[in-house]
Amino acid sequence: MKYNPVTKEVLDELKSILGEKNVFTDEEKMETYSHDETDVKVYGHMPEVVITPTTAQQIAEVVKLANREIIPITPRGAGSGLSGGAIPVYGGILLSVEKMNKVVELDYANMLFVAESGIITNEVNELVKEKGLFFAGYPMSLETCYLGGNIAENAGGGKAIKYGVTGRHIMGVELVTPTGEIVELGGKLAKDVTGYDLKQLIVGSEGTLGIVTKATVKLTGLPTAKSNLLVLFKTPKEAIDVVPEIMAGGLIPTSIEFMDRLSVQTSCEYLNETLPYQDCGAMLLIEMDGTDQDEVELNAEKIGDKCMDNGAIEVYVADNHTTQERIWSVRRNIAEAFKVASPVQVIEDIVVPISTIPDLIPELEKISIKYDVQVPCYGHAGDGNIHAHLVKNPNSTMEHWHEIEPKALRELYAATDKLGGKISGEHGIGLKRKAYMKELINPAELELMKAIKRAWDPNNIMNPGKIFDMEDM
Amino acid sequence: MNIIIPIKQVPETSNVKMDKEKGTMIRDGVQTVINPLDLYALETGIQLKEKFGGKITVISMGPPSAVKALKEAVAMGCDDAVLLSDKKFAGSDTWATSYTISQAIKKIGHYDLIIAGERATDGDTGQVGPGIAAWLDLPLATYVSKIVKVDEKELVVERLVEEGYQKLQMPLPALLTVVKEISNPRLPTLRGKKRARATEVPIFTAEKMDLDPEFLGLKGSPTKVLKIDFPTVTRGGTLVKTGGEEGVEEAIDKLIDFLKEKELV
Repeated sequence: MKYNPVTKEVLDELKSILGEKNVFTDEEKMETYSHDETDVKVYGHMPEVVITPTTAQQIAEVVKLANREIIPITPRGAGSGLSGGAIPVYGGILLSVEKMNKVVELDYANMLFVAESGIITNEVNELVKEKGLFFAGYPMSLETCYLGGNIAENAGGGKAIKYGVTGRHIMGVELVTPTGEIVELGGKLAKDVTGYDLKQLIVGSEGTLGIVTKATVKLTGLPTAKSNLLVLFKTPKEAIDVVPEIMAGGLIPTSIEFMDRLSVQTSCEYLNETLPYQDCGAMLLIEMDGTDQDEVELNAEKIGDKCMDNGAIEVYVADNHTTQERIWSVRRNIAEAFKVASPVQVIEDIVVPISTIPDLIPELEKISIKYDVQVPCYGHAGDGNIHAHLVKNPNSTMEHWHEIEPKALRELYAATDKLGGKISGEHGIGLKRKAYMKELINPAELELMKAIKRAWDPNNIMNPGKIFDMEDM
Repeated sequence: MNIIIPIKQVPETSNVKMDKEKGTMIRDGVQTVINPLDLYALETGIQLKEKFGGKITVISMGPPSAVKALKEAVAMGCDDAVLLSDKKFAGSDTWATSYTISQAIKKIGHYDLIIAGERATDGDTGQVGPGIAAWLDLPLATYVSKIVKVDEKELVVERLVEEGYQKLQMPLPALLTVVKEISNPRLPTLRGKKRARATEVPIFTAEKMDLDPEFLGLKGSPTKVLKIDFPTVTRGGTLVKTGGEEGVEEAIDKLIDFLKEKELV
């Protein structure tokens, strides 16, 4: 792909559109914008210029300039992504929405808010909390991530079984298209079938179809009561087999998190926690929420009973903040604990039909043995979205790791595909998984995606090199 | 071995907000939990019961809502629970509280060991446990970090003291206050929760215990909280601004002058 460099003339034009302070080329400052949460050494790439626009009009002008000069633009939120989606692989202009962080409207009568895309997701929740409301489509990184990033990735998170992923809560977006038009897609309407649902096309498009500048987001009643169960099973299969039983019972938990023994043990050792994992092969962390504590506790008990009837060794109950924090911190610290144990690893977020999770576990074990890697397996069992890491054996060499990593990943993805699954449930394809996606997706489906990209972004300047490559452009 | 464990229900303190004018904690919407340091006493008691058999009675003084904390203790593995609740107990200091609890323990009767937490996270005095021992005239070991040996008649414990550990041999019955080091509290189980729901918690009032009214509540408390002051923060930061790259050297000079003035360089 041939792009033109950012010349002095282009820089001057950017400065005249955005003002001096919103355009910078200082290497040290730009370094932060050269990577996300993926490994900087593998995926990182420096932009030629970083810009921090403050209005949609400024962005539209920049996009028109980029089309004229054929310079790539990479939109960026908080940089907490896990697929390399915000990395400027072709250099060019890195467009950070960090200064577009205002709440435009709190419309409680319609149970929604309108905000700019650079707002920190948690700030919205803090703001609407006093009204007993929250934005339910947030991911696990809610304290750092931006709303715009949530939309671009269609973020998931721990509460998706009950509340759904980000897309379910997005009612409208203001978008600067890849050709520099400002459009409003969707809006405050609860129902709208007036033509194609382009807003939903934008959700999860990883910044390849434009830059979201504003979003209209649905609010949900904030649950005030919570009860958690930590359920111990002899085997991962027994743990997973109980999930459809729970879902069929009609009481929908907020989360059903699966943790295999390796994950729990590593996290407990890291936290100096003493959960009784010695005799169990896997655990489920189940959360129920609602507005009446007694009712929530009773419902949690019913689910606990179901687990006991289906072979659980023990069910622990956490009804207050202290005990809940204790068990959730084990789940939240798994990734961090493995980083300490062996810093070289890949974090995957495959998704399979819920009922097939037990069939996936032996496949992971096979990969673990064949390639001498640890494959801790944990994640959102309630929606089939499993975070299987490949963790390098600390005693093996880096050369060996580089040799086996793609092979092991291909086997993991092949196993996922065989079960009717997909290679990413919530982290996105971005840069990191595009080679693998190409191998697994139906060619006709991929061609439809490319046709959309071609129609929206004829010069391929909007976040190029993500999801798939446009070889013919 | 029969064990009695006095516990306190306290506000969950991870997100406490204070009313600066009144000097009190804003309790609206704040969850209450078992005093986190009492969990170590509960775990110690449950482990002793698992080893030697017997029964654990958990006891708390507080409003009727403190039943929740008692039931949580039953869900962890305690057998019986008793709540001391009476308007006459309101405003008790550590002296009146330890008197009231000690009289309830007398009423409950046969026990070999009383285990209390080191202190409560709200009052932070650490006096109620030792106070109960004094009222009951029992041998006392505070800051116990390990139970080395137990038999029918005596107990050997290790205490955490400033210089290290102190080993104590003491006759039973006795009272221990324990520190975090002694155990890792378990979580309540579903079976425990169900048992707790079915467990009736008798309420001991002043009348039921035949207590001396002079020793109760605010009236019977020799100490009073008159005022709560907030500590004044005396340390403050000084920010030396550069005002852009050209101001860096000037700012460094200012910083050096400041350090010299304070005789730090």
